[in-house]
Formats: sequence, structure tokens, C-alpha cells
Amino acid sequence: MLNFIVRRLIQVPLVMLALSLFIVGLTQLLTPEQRAAGYIRSDQQAARLEAIIEERGLRDPFVVQYGNWLGSTLKGDLGFSRASGQDVVQTIRERLPNTIELTLLTALPILLLGIALGTLSALHKDKLIDQILRVLTIIGYSLPTFVLGIVLLAVFYGYLGWLPGAGQVNIINQFALGDLRHYTGLLSIDAALNGRWDIAWDVLQHLILPAATLTVVSTATIVKVMRNNMLEALTSDYVRTARAKGLADRVVNNKHARRNALLSIVTLGGFLIINLLSGSLITEFIFGYPGVGLWMVEAGLRLDIPAVLGFALLSALIVVVVSTVVDILYGVVDPRVRFD
Amino acid sequence: MKKFALLSTLLLVGSAFAASPKDTLVIQESADIPTLDPGVTYDTASGAIVENIYETLLTYKGNSLRDLEPLLASKLPTISNGGRTVTFDLRKNVKFHTGNAMTCRDAEYSFERNLVTNSAESGNWFISESLLGTGSNANDDKTITWARIDKAVECNNAGQLVFTLPKPDPAFLAKLAYTGQSIVDSKHAISIGEWKGTEADWKNWVGKDLTGSNLNKQPSGTGAYRLVRRDANATLLQAFDGYWGKKPAIKNVVIQKVPEIAARQQAFLRGDADIIEGGGRSVDEQQIKGKPGVAWLDNLPNTSAFAIFMNQKIQDPALLGSGKLDGKGIPANFFNDVNVRRAFSHAFNYQQYIQDVQQGKGKQRTMLLPDTFPGYDSEVKTYSFDAAKARQYFQRAWGGNVWKNGFTLTANYRAGSVPSQTAMEILKRNIESLNPKFKVNIQQKQWSEMLADSKKGREAVILIGWAPDYADPDNFLYTFYSSNGFYAPRSNFKDASVDKWLEQARATVNTAQRNRLYSLVGNRVYEQAPYINVPAPVAYTFFRNNLQGVSAATFNPMTSFSYTGTLWKDLSKK
Repeated sequence: MLNFIVRRLIQVPLVMLALSLFIVGLTQLLTPEQRAAGYIRSDQQAARLEAIIEERGLRDPFVVQYGNWLGSTLKGDLGFSRASGQDVVQTIRERLPNTIELTLLTALPILLLGIALGTLSALHKDKLIDQILRVLTIIGYSLPTFVLGIVLLAVFYGYLGWLPGAGQVNIINQFALGDLRHYTGLLSIDAALNGRWDIAWDVLQHLILPAATLTVVSTATIVKVMRNNMLEALTSDYVRTARAKGLADRVVNNKHARRNALLSIVTLGGFLIINLLSGSLITEFIFGYPGVGLWMVEAGLRLDIPAVLGFALLSALIVVVVSTVVDILYGVVDPRVRFD
Repeated sequence: MKKFALLSTLLLVGSAFAASPKDTLVIQESADIPTLDPGVTYDTASGAIVENIYETLLTYKGNSLRDLEPLLASKLPTISNGGRTVTFDLRKNVKFHTGNAMTCRDAEYSFERNLVTNSAESGNWFISESLLGTGSNANDDKTITWARIDKAVECNNAGQLVFTLPKPDPAFLAKLAYTGQSIVDSKHAISIGEWKGTEADWKNWVGKDLTGSNLNKQPSGTGAYRLVRRDANATLLQAFDGYWGKKPAIKNVVIQKVPEIAARQQAFLRGDADIIEGGGRSVDEQQIKGKPGVAWLDNLPNTSAFAIFMNQKIQDPALLGSGKLDGKGIPANFFNDVNVRRAFSHAFNYQQYIQDVQQGKGKQRTMLLPDTFPGYDSEVKTYSFDAAKARQYFQRAWGGNVWKNGFTLTANYRAGSVPSQTAMEILKRNIESLNPKFKVNIQQKQWSEMLADSKKGREAVILIGWAPDYADPDNFLYTFYSSNGFYAPRSNFKDASVDKWLEQARATVNTAQRNRLYSLVGNRVYEQAPYINVPAPVAYTFFRNNLQGVSAATFNPMTSFSYTGTLWKDLSKK
């Protein structure tokens, strides 16, 4: 097991190196003018285009440009992100905990709801409850995130006024944030640890709509997969044997059938968490939620190359770490899986 | 049911706190704020904050673009030595946000820092042109030495700030009103690792991009507001207790970043935000105007100028077709004939553009200069859409060959720009309707490519604009009309008289004489028609109706905070 983890961790720098080479290589397909356009915002700055190209060495050979980037990166300097107005490292340090907070609040309901509803649907195959769940799943699956997000925002914030709008906290709490001592980086938890329950509650309220959007959209996939897996498991020989032995339905369904059906959910759950941690781009954008996803959208729009590279490296790290955890969990769910 | 009731109560309690408090100004916008360092501030999103944290020596008086008044200077400067020496007395008892007292040394440091760094991203090229005679920095122009920078701006024994210009510059004072020329806290800047202010390390700072500088992270100015905190979600500022001027009514300012317009609109209509970035006139008129709690202010001055360029020396053979006047292309110097340019100018339907693009809120200007600017002459004639005149000029052009043989022309417009696309479509339709042998192809092009190609003269017909750095006619008229101007390689327009008048106008400080010269330029360019002068949009703004201090009488379009056209210190809430 330890060997497996070490092997995986060794892969991280190699994956990152290959990825950075690929991305910096891709940027070379753009002309120096196109890359320099990311540094300008107005016609007046456009007048300085050539000077910007010269100053940034955008006409230098690929090897020189990549070497410069790698040299700084190895010193821990990933450059300055124009999309965030901060250094890339500082941006990630500030925004990743926000995305983790959203992931924590979202992933568990998605997985639990998906597994429960998928199981329920399979156990009541073709009955009314199954039909309803299947229709809801198709709706959830087909609903574009930006449509759902805006509708939820318009109804629960704009019309009913039950929930707050965009951002992470209300105006009244914005100024208080500077006084908080940060322990975990997760704002709701840090606020609670500081005894500021009002801020913690405010943060949680702001998380409800983005979390609900993600939950509706992502749960549908898990329900679909779980239902299919359960149906397959319920008709398998070992389930039939278990029933023949006289085991109670509940035990057969939960312990025998569902455990096997969960195997692909573990994999799917891994992808889900990778997606959530890598930033739920559209959701964070709609709700102005200051996570890495929102940063990435802006970085992409502004051709903020240091940010794109930094984000790609972060994503690679997340993928390798989460995949490793998923593989370990796989072994826990299915003891036949070995790591040697 | 009880649980649901409890949840609803808690949620409602939470939302009750959402509305924007009376002493707090809440702004929601999608724009990022690239920097808070005045040394590199050259965009409106940064400028809107920097102008409230920092202050310049001079500023615009009320809504005027013609009159300047002292801000950190105690009075208007003394100009001597034939306009080459400009001496400022500085305001006493002014403190920076750190508590440091402002001295002449801070002003000297600020200008020297701008001259030393003068990075490509900054707007310091124009102050460098005034003080060093070149827009370049010491990396690009080896004649720039520390001694020259040091001598350009100095403090004399009386504690006055003295600028020494290589030649008189009538735009110099207007340039000083630009936010990027704000006075920074030199002691603080040096203490956090910025340039030391001496010859010892000046070379290390030449051309350095200050966007992410330490001063950007920890600004300290003399302005009415100080930065409290900046995070991914919001920028928070508070009224500075030690401010030398009148205490502002608004205590807190929160600038929230909300990229999605629907979310901003909801917040604005609920009163959670006092000001939001809108979605353009048609969207805002439909979704915001007339709603409860909304104040709408229209017919405000606009300071940008847009033109359709007609390049007189097209360098890209791909746009020329056959390259001859045989109906299948155009020669590279097609627009060299003034009749072609006049015909094009009469073929553009200005009123239709105003209607289609500007929802009826547009204004045809006499020259490529905002009508509120000094030097603008409203008496100069303008072109109007007139098919008969256009036909007449086409018939005269190129000895009648244009009319006889026809032409095929390719015009590019900026990808994604609806106004540019519409303008080109209007032009295409009108020209093609004049003669079946006339063919105008329009195609979209990425902005960056268009910028690069047009600079090399490789575009035939494009629509681009200019926004001011400072309120001086030279910033527009020289840019567009001089054969040494920034846009010259794009239009290849050269007129000896226009060149002479523009050079004379930038060398004299006599306002009446300058105005006369600019009128001459205006009349001559009407005759020569180097550009199609695209109507300027009429500006508007909207805000919550409890916000006070926003009106046409106070709105200054040179203020970067274009939502109100004022500084925050001049606002209050009912």
C-alpha cells in the first residue's frame, strides 16, 4: 500500500512537467501579439503592444520562454495573475479553501442522495416511484447549470428574498472578515472557531444556492449509474443465493447487492470530487463565488497564461491525489483489489 | 412543519441584513482590478479606486474638462522660462494613510518613479514625453540618464516642486491631473521594498511592471479613502480619518466582484447594491430603467471617439483582390483619391447607426474630438448620408474608372463587436446599392491580430476608437490626424497643413491660438475626409435613488469612477 502511494506521488512532478510543457507549447501557437493582448485593456495600452512584447520576451524562442517559466516555478514563484491581481500561489492559497468548502458541502449530499435515490429507484423498478425518479433524473441531467443557477438565484434571492445573492458573505460582514483568525482557511469553520457564528451562518447561507445547483445537476448522474448497477446486482447469482439462504431482503439489498453496486460509484465519486475541487466553473461564475473556478474563467477570458499554468498544475495535483485516494477506497470496498 | 418554519425564519433573518447600509456604498461589477499602484494605473477599473486612495497635484474643476483646480498643490502653478519651468506650491498639513506627512520629496519621488519605471503597461509615456522629450524608458532610449530624470523634477530650497521641461507643453497640466500621476508615500514605498528613490538602484527599476508591486498590495495615499482589505470577492475601503479635506459622508465602500449580470441586476433591484455595472444601453433600458428605487441619468458627455479608417496605403495584398481597378479588387492606394473618401463618408448612414446601435442616443461630432473637450469647434461641417453626393464623388474618383469598372474591397471588423459589425454592414449595403459593380466584403477578425496588422498598415477599412488619457485636444487630434500620430500607420493620411497646425498647437500655451489652429485642422479634415467620423454614444448612468451627489452638473467624464462621474467623497446616501 505504502509503495503504491509513494509511486503515485512520484508521478506528480512528472505529470506536472509534461503538462506545463504541453500548455506553454500550446501558447506558442498564438502570435506574440495575441499573447500580448492579454496584457492590454484599452486602445491606449494597445499603443504599447510592441513594448509589451519586448518587455515580456514574447518573441523569444520556446526554450527560453519555457526555461524562464520553469526557473521561476522551481523557486516557488508561479508568476502574477492579472485575473486575480495577485501572485498565482497566493491566489490559489486564498481561493482553494473556498472551493474545498463548497466541495465539502456539495459532494456528500450528491453522493448520499445519488446512492439512496438510485437504490430506491432500482428496488422499485418500473413502479410509480421509479418512474418519477427517472423523469427527475432526466430533467436534472439535461438542465444546463447556468439556467438552473440563474433560476434559483432569481427565485430564492430576487423574488422570495429567502437566500442571499452572489458572493461569500453579506456586506455587513465583509469588514469583519479582516479581524478573523484563520485556522483552516475554510471561512465558515474559521468564523465558528472565532466565535463569530453570525458569519459562519452567513457563509453557509451563501453556499446553499451554489450547492443546490451543483447537487441537482450532479446527483442525476449518480442516480442513473447507481440504479443500473443495483439492477444488475439484484439479478446476479450471489444475490439469488443469498435470498435462497433465507436472508432478509434488507440485508440482501444493502449488504450484498448495494456493496457491489457501489464499486463504480467510488470511481464516479472520484471524478465528481476532482471536478468540484478543480472549480465548478459555471456555478462559481454565476454566484460570484470566489473559488478557483471563478478565477479560471476570468484567467481564460483574459489569456492570463501564468494563471492558466498555475491552475493546470493545481488540477494535475488534485487528479493524482484524488485518484490515489479512490484506488485505496476501491480496495476497502472490494477486498479482492490488491496494490502489489 | 415546525422545522420548515424555523429554517424559513433563520433564512429571513439572514437576508434582512443584506441591504446596503446608509454609510456604505456598495458597488458590484464584473471587472477585475488589475492594480492599486498609481505608477502603472492605466485602466478605468484600477483608476476608479486609485483616484480615491491617492491624489494628484491638480484636478478637473466640477464637470469641466477645460478648467483645472489645485488639489495637492495649494494653488495653480507658476509657469516661467517660456513655459519650460512649472513651479508648484504644495498643500501643507497633508497626511498619508500611514500617518507620514506629505512633503515635496514625496511628489519628487512619485514623478521620478514614473519616469524611471515607465513600463509598457503604464501611461507614463506621456508624462515622459513632456519631461524628457521621449515616451521611451531608459532601456529603449539610451539618452535617458539618471541626471536627466533627476533634473526634470526637483524640490527647491523653498520646498516648491519644480518641473523643467525640454520644451513648452500646453497639455502638461492636464497630464498632471491623470490618476497615474498621483503622489505616493515615498517613505512607506521605500520601506516595503519599492525603488529607493536614488541613483543607486534606478537601473534595476527601468521598465519594471508595477502591476503586482508591493505598493499595489499596501497602498498609502493622501486620498479620502484608505484600503482596508482586498480579497478574491471584494475590495473594502474606509474613509480616512486624517484626511485634510472635508470629511466624506460615505464611511465605507465595498466593491464586490459579481461576474454574472443577472446576479448584479437582482442585487441592485433589491437595494443590496447601490451601483452595478450594467449590460449596455439596450439591456439596461429594458431591465433597469423605470424600476422602483432606480435613478436614471441620461444625456451625459462621452469622451471616446470612433472612426472608420480608410487606409491610403494598404500593405496586405490579400485585401486588394486583383490589386487593380478592374472590378475585382482595388489598388493599394485606392483611398488616396479624396473623392473616394468623400464618397464613402456620404455613403455612411449616420442616423441609422445612431438608431440601430445607440438606440437613438448618439451624436455626430464635427471632428474626432469629444465635444466637451477644449479645442472642439462645433462650427465645422459634418458629412451626412447622401446617396446622390456619394454617387457624384464616386463618378469623379480615379478619373471615372471607379464608377466605370467598379471595385471589390475587403473590410474587417473586430470579432464580437456588434457596433463595428453593424457599422460595416450599413456601409456595405449603402455602397453596394450605388452601383452593381461595387462589392464590399466584410469579415470579422480577432482584436489582437487587427491591432498588429493595422499598425503595419495591413488593414483597408476598420473601425477603431480612442479614449482620452488627459483632457487635451492634442491627445485626440494629433493621435488621429498627424502623420506622426499614433494612428498614422493605420490611415496613412498625410496633409502638410494639418501636420504644421498640429505641431504649432502642441508648442504653444496660448489657448486662443490653439483653438484657432484646431478649428483650421477641423475644417481641413472635413475637406480631406481621412476617416468616417462615427457618431459618439451619449453616456448614461443609473444608481439607487437614495444615493445623492450624482447629477449632470457634477458628472465629469474624466473621472475613472464613471458610474457617478465623481469621487466617492462627494457622494452621500439618504
